[in-house]
Amino acid sequence: MITLKDLSFSYLKPNGEPVTETPQLHRVNLHIAKGEFVLVCGPTGSGKSTLLKALNGLAPSFTGGQLTGAIYIDGEDLTGKEPHDFAHLVGYVNQQPEGFFVTDTVIDEIVYGSEQLGMPVKDIATRIKPIVSVLKIEHLLERPLSSLSGGEQQRVAIASALVAGQKVLLLDEPTSALDLAGAVEVLKVLKNLVKDFGITILLAEHRISRVIAEVDSVLVVHGDGSVTKGEPTKQFNDDRFAPPIIQLGVKLGWNPLAISAEEAAELWTTKNHSFEPKEVSPAGEPIVSAKNLSVNYGSLTAVAPTDLDFFGNQITAIMGENGSGKTSLCWAIQGLGNRSSGSVLLNGSDTAELAKATRLDQVAMIPQRAADLLFLHSLGEELHESDVFAEVAEGTTAALFQKLAGRIDPSIHPRDLSAGQQLAAVLSIQLAKQAKVLILDEPTRGLDYSAKRALAKALQQLKSPDRAILLATHDIEFIAEVSDRVIRLESGKVVSDASPLTELAWPSPFASQIAQITRTPELISIGQVIK
Amino acid sequence: MLGLAFAISASLTVNPLTLSVLGALSMLFVLAFRDQSPWSRSVVFYIRLAGIVIAIRLLFRIIFNLESDPANPLLVLPEVNLGLGDLVTMHLFGSISAESLQAALTDGLRLAAIILAIGMANSLANPMKLLKTTPGALYEIATAISIAINLAPQLIASLNRVRRARGLRGQSKGIKALPGLVIPVLEDTIDQSMTLAASMSARGFGRKGTQSKARLTLTRFTGLAGLVLIAVGAFLLILSPTNQVLDLSITVAGLLSTVIYIKMSALGSLRTRYLVQKFRTGDYAIYLIAALLLALAFSGVLNF
Repeated sequence: MITLKDLSFSYLKPNGEPVTETPQLHRVNLHIAKGEFVLVCGPTGSGKSTLLKALNGLAPSFTGGQLTGAIYIDGEDLTGKEPHDFAHLVGYVNQQPEGFFVTDTVIDEIVYGSEQLGMPVKDIATRIKPIVSVLKIEHLLERPLSSLSGGEQQRVAIASALVAGQKVLLLDEPTSALDLAGAVEVLKVLKNLVKDFGITILLAEHRISRVIAEVDSVLVVHGDGSVTKGEPTKQFNDDRFAPPIIQLGVKLGWNPLAISAEEAAELWTTKNHSFEPKEVSPAGEPIVSAKNLSVNYGSLTAVAPTDLDFFGNQITAIMGENGSGKTSLCWAIQGLGNRSSGSVLLNGSDTAELAKATRLDQVAMIPQRAADLLFLHSLGEELHESDVFAEVAEGTTAALFQKLAGRIDPSIHPRDLSAGQQLAAVLSIQLAKQAKVLILDEPTRGLDYSAKRALAKALQQLKSPDRAILLATHDIEFIAEVSDRVIRLESGKVVSDASPLTELAWPSPFASQIAQITRTPELISIGQVIK
Repeated sequence: MLGLAFAISASLTVNPLTLSVLGALSMLFVLAFRDQSPWSRSVVFYIRLAGIVIAIRLLFRIIFNLESDPANPLLVLPEVNLGLGDLVTMHLFGSISAESLQAALTDGLRLAAIILAIGMANSLANPMKLLKTTPGALYEIATAISIAINLAPQLIASLNRVRRARGLRGQSKGIKALPGLVIPVLEDTIDQSMTLAASMSARGFGRKGTQSKARLTLTRFTGLAGLVLIAVGAFLLILSPTNQVLDLSITVAGLLSTVIYIKMSALGSLRTRYLVQKFRTGDYAIYLIAALLLALAFSGVLNF
């Protein structure tokens, strides 16, 4: 279905020279069969997106850069063509469906592509039915797009990419903004699309764990320009992006590696394994206390009235699906957010009534898009500005940053840092004044496994008896790695408040993947397993 | 469409009572038909603007008073002579007659009624629906407009987000606040527009139809000529109603040319339309009201 011959791609400087010495893609030769389900993975920034975009003309049309070599799709030579010349063969879905929508209701969005391609109205009508039924969106057709959940939006985006009879579907991290339920739904429909329509799918993903057992082959974009394709079990020699299940197999020397949870569970039971107990820090002094705290938006309850204490020495994870109230709770505790009732006491005063400067000193918050906090022209300037603003000795922030992220050239522009490094910069800036409360909202979005490990290590280093750390996320594996206490929210209500050793362990429905495989009480993260 | 009719009628009317009625009617329509969409809230802005326009108009008339010693002064204010010489009857303040104030009020009302009419059109029309009702030939233009309109709320949303984030960090005195705020917001907006453009292109927007190049040029020329003729005709019709036959014929020629353009480009277009919006009785009613209003305005009935 897809054949690439000597495909190379590099970004160019204005003077026509390549930006980096190694091109993003270097002489890639590939063949993908009809109806093949291919997982595309690789470390952050390695060129996964570029490869997908080359397959529908968006690279270089919309990305800039230079592409050489040849692309054949379904027998057509599409080398050097514009994206709209690919449109009848290739459908494309990216990670943020809401930014990709052209119209405002579901049905308009679904037919948009086929209208542009000039499909006769009769054919459109007959194509829609089977597609919307496989994607389970029949009941949504008349709804405005903005009223849908993330998972529903993503399924509409997939339908609109396929209604004109496209044979290839490219998905660029379609589940990265979704919670677990939404992601599982999307993956289920992808499987059915391969089965019922023989669609060829290329799926780029960070959250590989749950996908890997479903795909036919894995394509790895290594970041040095090379791309390899092969059996799912043979492609993960690089632990920057290997999912926990593969890491476990590598650690225990399984050969071949297990790729589904069932296989892994079977391999696990063949031998007796030992593991270290997980260190969970006991609660220190209460640092910040919420009393009868609630948040309503009009008639909508974001956070139901609740009492919560957060303690020193502990990392508390606030876990819950999208829309369960995690972000509202974070902002209400920080003090700037909406509150409908209650108080949040820190050192005897309410965070909402603190003077602006005092609040900045005592409560450090990292919002969902941490990079919004960076606005100067170099890393060095950012770190220096932080010292000046916090009135601390020159170099304090830089020292903290180095502890969290290692040594990095201070002249680099903040936007050229990786997502993980940006997060480390924002963390060190926000903590320059030794804040008593640190709140992080979805910090692992867009981080690969190695960046997550670095963040986990950084957070462990930041624990102290007079600091409470709060972490809102739906990333269960990360919570298992890092937390000392887990609070679970469900539509605004606190439904459980427990140790991760019970909340995330077998047989809880929220068990981490390692717990599901090992089915061993109190074993929840890969770090505990002994070789 | 109705908004346009209201605006034209208002510009031809000099009776303050009729103008007030027109303005009030626009607002009534908005209240009756508006929904919960973000652009329906923009009506508040238009009402404020209309109020400000009337107030400024009155204020200017009082300050820059052109009359000297009117027959029946309503307001007597001390006169400030600017000393521009005897030939110029220009002074600030001074006695003002009721007629003069009424003229100013009427002028203000007329502008306000036009603003309210535009406001009505803007708050009732969903820009996305515009895409569906425009004829195929105007599709590209309509797309550009609807994207521009839709980017505005997104711009405000990202501005709020970045401002909130900035508040979390604070900044020392030597640092300029503006670039820090503007750069991420602009970046967001550009990213968003690029994503949208990429999405449209990836789904086939911009595919060439079967028309030859010469045909395309001719089509575009007809369209342009039509628009220019309509503009000139309408301008003459409103400004100098001396030679109405000529003015009318120019306008009609423009309209004809535009219709030909629309037909011509529809012939070679590749695009199909699924679920084209059908006219409902309500839509016909609106066109009827608009036509009636225009007829009344042109015949001068509205001025009594």
